Amino acid sequence: MKNIWVVLKKEYLTRIRNKTFIVMTFLAPILVALFYAGAIYFAVNGGDDNAQKDIYFEAEYWEANPSDLNFDNFKFHQATNATEAILKNIDENPNIAWLHIEDQDIRFLDSAELVTGSGFSVKHVSQIDGHIKNKIHETLLQKNGISETTLESTQVQGEITTFELDDKGDVTGNNAGLKSIIGFILAFVIYMFIFIYGSMVMRSAMEEKTNRIVEVIVSSVKPFQLMMGKILGVALVGLSQFIAWVLLTTGFLTVIGQLLKQPQNLNEATVTKGKEAIEILQGLHALPIGEILTIFVLFFLGGYLLYSSIFAAIGSAVNQETDVQQFMLPVSLPLVFGFIIAQSVVFQAPNGHLAQVFSMIPLTSPVVMAVRAPFDVPISEVVGSFLILVITFLAMVWVSGKIYRIGILMYGKKPSWKDLFKWIRQS
Amino acid sequence: MLKVQHVYKYFDSVCVNDDISLDLKSGEIFGLLGPNGAGKTTLMRMLATVTTPDRGEILLQNEPLSPNHIPMIGYMPEERGLYRKMTVVDQLLYFAELKGLNRPSAKEEVKKWMKRLDIIDWADKKMEELSKGMAQKIQFISTILHRPQFLILDEPFSGFDPVNADLIKDLILDLKNEGTTILFSTHRMDNVEELCDRLAIIHEGKKILDGKIYDVRRDFFDNEYDVVLSENIKFPDHYQISSSQEDHGKWTTRIKLTEEQSYKDLMDFSYNTGKLLGIWEYLPTMHEVFVSQVSPSKPSKS
Repeated sequence: MKNIWVVLKKEYLTRIRNKTFIVMTFLAPILVALFYAGAIYFAVNGGDDNAQKDIYFEAEYWEANPSDLNFDNFKFHQATNATEAILKNIDENPNIAWLHIEDQDIRFLDSAELVTGSGFSVKHVSQIDGHIKNKIHETLLQKNGISETTLESTQVQGEITTFELDDKGDVTGNNAGLKSIIGFILAFVIYMFIFIYGSMVMRSAMEEKTNRIVEVIVSSVKPFQLMMGKILGVALVGLSQFIAWVLLTTGFLTVIGQLLKQPQNLNEATVTKGKEAIEILQGLHALPIGEILTIFVLFFLGGYLLYSSIFAAIGSAVNQETDVQQFMLPVSLPLVFGFIIAQSVVFQAPNGHLAQVFSMIPLTSPVVMAVRAPFDVPISEVVGSFLILVITFLAMVWVSGKIYRIGILMYGKKPSWKDLFKWIRQS
Repeated sequence: MLKVQHVYKYFDSVCVNDDISLDLKSGEIFGLLGPNGAGKTTLMRMLATVTTPDRGEILLQNEPLSPNHIPMIGYMPEERGLYRKMTVVDQLLYFAELKGLNRPSAKEEVKKWMKRLDIIDWADKKMEELSKGMAQKIQFISTILHRPQFLILDEPFSGFDPVNADLIKDLILDLKNEGTTILFSTHRMDNVEELCDRLAIIHEGKKILDGKIYDVRRDFFDNEYDVVLSENIKFPDHYQISSSQEDHGKWTTRIKLTEEQSYKDLMDFSYNTGKLLGIWEYLPTMHEVFVSQVSPSKPSKS
């Protein structure tokens, strides 16, 4: 046990002190925070130009008063000049446009044309498009003798509020969308971490082998202890990084949130945004955070341990980086497949049959379970799936230990799958 | 100190160590000789607890060899290397801790050895910044940091430049004087004659001989005598001449006596020339013994 600890400490400390690790640990949350702050900033301040847009409007079969069409910064004028003169002006003034509707039946805008200056963005164009359609709609209603009040009285308002009855009989709000997003993020984090840290274990085993360090080491430590020390040390590195990311990101976001709450920053837009944020926050609070985190950590560790013990065996078997590929592909396929399943499951049937099946297969369960975590997975399934995962991990560590023991001292020819099975039987 | 008793090791169905027995006395330097592929490394790996014998027993200080002995064994394999990205000090401390040394005494030992080998200024450098000779010194320090009572060195001089090789040679002798038992393998006979108290030759997995160097050479005495004369005098035809050479007016002739010929007759003849400077029995060098034992053309004597 002491030896596992010595190896673990060394693997952990050398990685934690690594410059790339430190930079990534701090940079990633800063980038997330900046991205988030930027998104909010642009959402609030719009980044819009508030310059007036003049639209010269021509419609043979629609008698609309141009000034009735005005909205926001868009001013409509009857096109009086010759079309070509207006078009010539468009060249000089980016904020003018020419709208021409020539259809007889104004319900069909297929041949309507909008020629704009360079000051019009895609958003502006779609605003105009939507606005004109609304106006035509109004015109047609009037034409058919339907008053706006009549129309309003027929309009169905509001949304059905959905609640969920959980297994404790409590009624909670339904946040399927939020849950899907959280589930997806959790699954993605597990998927990425398994690959990043799993291959870290593999490279570590390979480094010791290719630099011929390993024989010295195994004269002091049992190969199994060496492997476990590595796996656990790198696991701690992963956990440390994850915790640092969560703490730093939360910290940065809180600071940004505080800055945005300052009264002088409040305007209509921020209030709306704030409302949305509060709704999301309320949704978050309604989720079983403790349960989600527990499932996440359990399957994060279980999945990582399972895959990294496989990766360790691969690292010990090969002699050089180029030999890795033939072993990596079949091993990483289930993980990739699990991620694909997770993506389809999350938006369709988080507790459906497909999800249940792949939650029980240990090579896919970490990712699939993570995606299901926010959806009140039955506790029996969580426990069952986790037990299968742990048992598979223990079996895999046992097998990997055998491969590792022989692999690290085998130099020379590129090993084949056959060799690996021989090594397992041998020891 | 160390007893290897009828040890066998197989790879697949090939027997790489075939009934090997050795007996190392405390504080001696024991040489393990043998051509490539003879099974030396396999045997040393078992002694270093890296692998275990398929049959037979290894006793260290009268106890069956077990992981408990790890702190008292130092092993420098032929395939050796260090972590390129780690600093010299971190690296040495890591190896020492793995051998069971606690951190404070490990630090002390590291400092002491680095001073002794005059590389203390390099303590905080990463391995990849060091020259090969420097790395070799550090490799050796890492093997002996925990003051092993039993030191196993697989081809300790391979890859060392002559200056470093001499340095390591001196260190090995120092350690011996401090009471360390040392087993090393080598191809180089000059190292063997210089350092070893006793030796064994392994060939195709079997031990074909062992003993003190002088005794081994004595055993291989082939009735040859070097006769040194001050003039080039022709020996009678019934003497079988192995070689003859001249050096600054001294003529040395190596004569192999047959069963029927007596040393006294050869001596009388030489004396009667009136030119005799000296006459010695010729003991084959370790190199000759080695070559005669492992070349496929010659049958082994034992």
